[in-house]
Amino acid sequence: MSAAALVVAAQRGDTMAMNDLLRELTPYLGRICGPIALDSGQDAVQEALIAVFRNLPALREPDALYGWARAIAVREAVRIARRDNRVGPAEPGDLPSRQDVEGAVDIRDVLERLTPEHRAVLVLRDVEGLDEATAARLLAVPVGTVKSRLARARLSFRKAWQS
Amino acid sequence: MDWPVADLDPVRRLRVLAAGVPGARVAERILPDPFELVWEVAGDLEREFGTFEPDMRRLRIVADDGGGRLVAEARSKYGMRARFDVDLRPGWCWMQSRFLLVGLAATAVPEGTLVAQTGGIRVPGRSALVPLGVRTAGEKALARLAARVAERAR
Repeated sequence: MSAAALVVAAQRGDTMAMNDLLRELTPYLGRICGPIALDSGQDAVQEALIAVFRNLPALREPDALYGWARAIAVREAVRIARRDNRVGPAEPGDLPSRQDVEGAVDIRDVLERLTPEHRAVLVLRDVEGLDEATAARLLAVPVGTVKSRLARARLSFRKAWQS
Repeated sequence: MDWPVADLDPVRRLRVLAAGVPGARVAERILPDPFELVWEVAGDLEREFGTFEPDMRRLRIVADDGGGRLVAEARSKYGMRARFDVDLRPGWCWMQSRFLLVGLAATAVPEGTLVAQTGGIRVPGRSALVPLGVRTAGEKALARLAARVAERAR
């Protein structure tokens, strides 16, 4: 059964479909919440999925499931990371470029240098393949802020990385 | 390059699904026994399930797809029969009939095994439970499971 068909069946009260939908969504949300919430990743996935299943009856377009769940996961992962105070720098740092991320030996070390919001932009851009404008919209951050931050980021991140 | 990936253990998965079922409550308990022993009892539908789950006297598996999906026929203590769709995997059992829902999960923790239970009488046509006594029933089921596992461990 497709994910959209599982949504429809779950909305009609079939808890076996909910069970299958959970199996389908967990790895996807795990890839989003893991890099944003780091050590609180399991909590973030749990909270994101609870929000998904509580609000499932209100999802009008079953085909929009993944985009809808992704937005919830990003929001919950940032919230849980902030709650657990695993915030990297006190001041929001600059985002590393895609090349820097790809060249990093230890991606976790890169992530730990960033705030949860920046990690979220990075995940949306480098894991989900969204452009920065879409990522900024999803995070309710002004596009200009994200773009200028990214433009400033490249040099300063490399410096920090090489030091 | 490996991005960190977060996973969900079975007990967390049970909390998630129960959150999507209005009226459902999750009972949880830590047993001092290792996961393997706990699941040997908890996951044995035909021989053990009826010893700890309320309203389940006998359960017989009538179909098995080999991938965790089963069909079981259950008989309640009042003699009524029910056909259950079942998803059974290590640490995980989710089953529904037309009138009943049962979820059971277990995961290893430093103190032993964390077990969780949810379920009850379904509201027809909805993913909801009649919210009467569900928490007490879950706690009783886990207490009986703990006793069964302790018996096995002796």
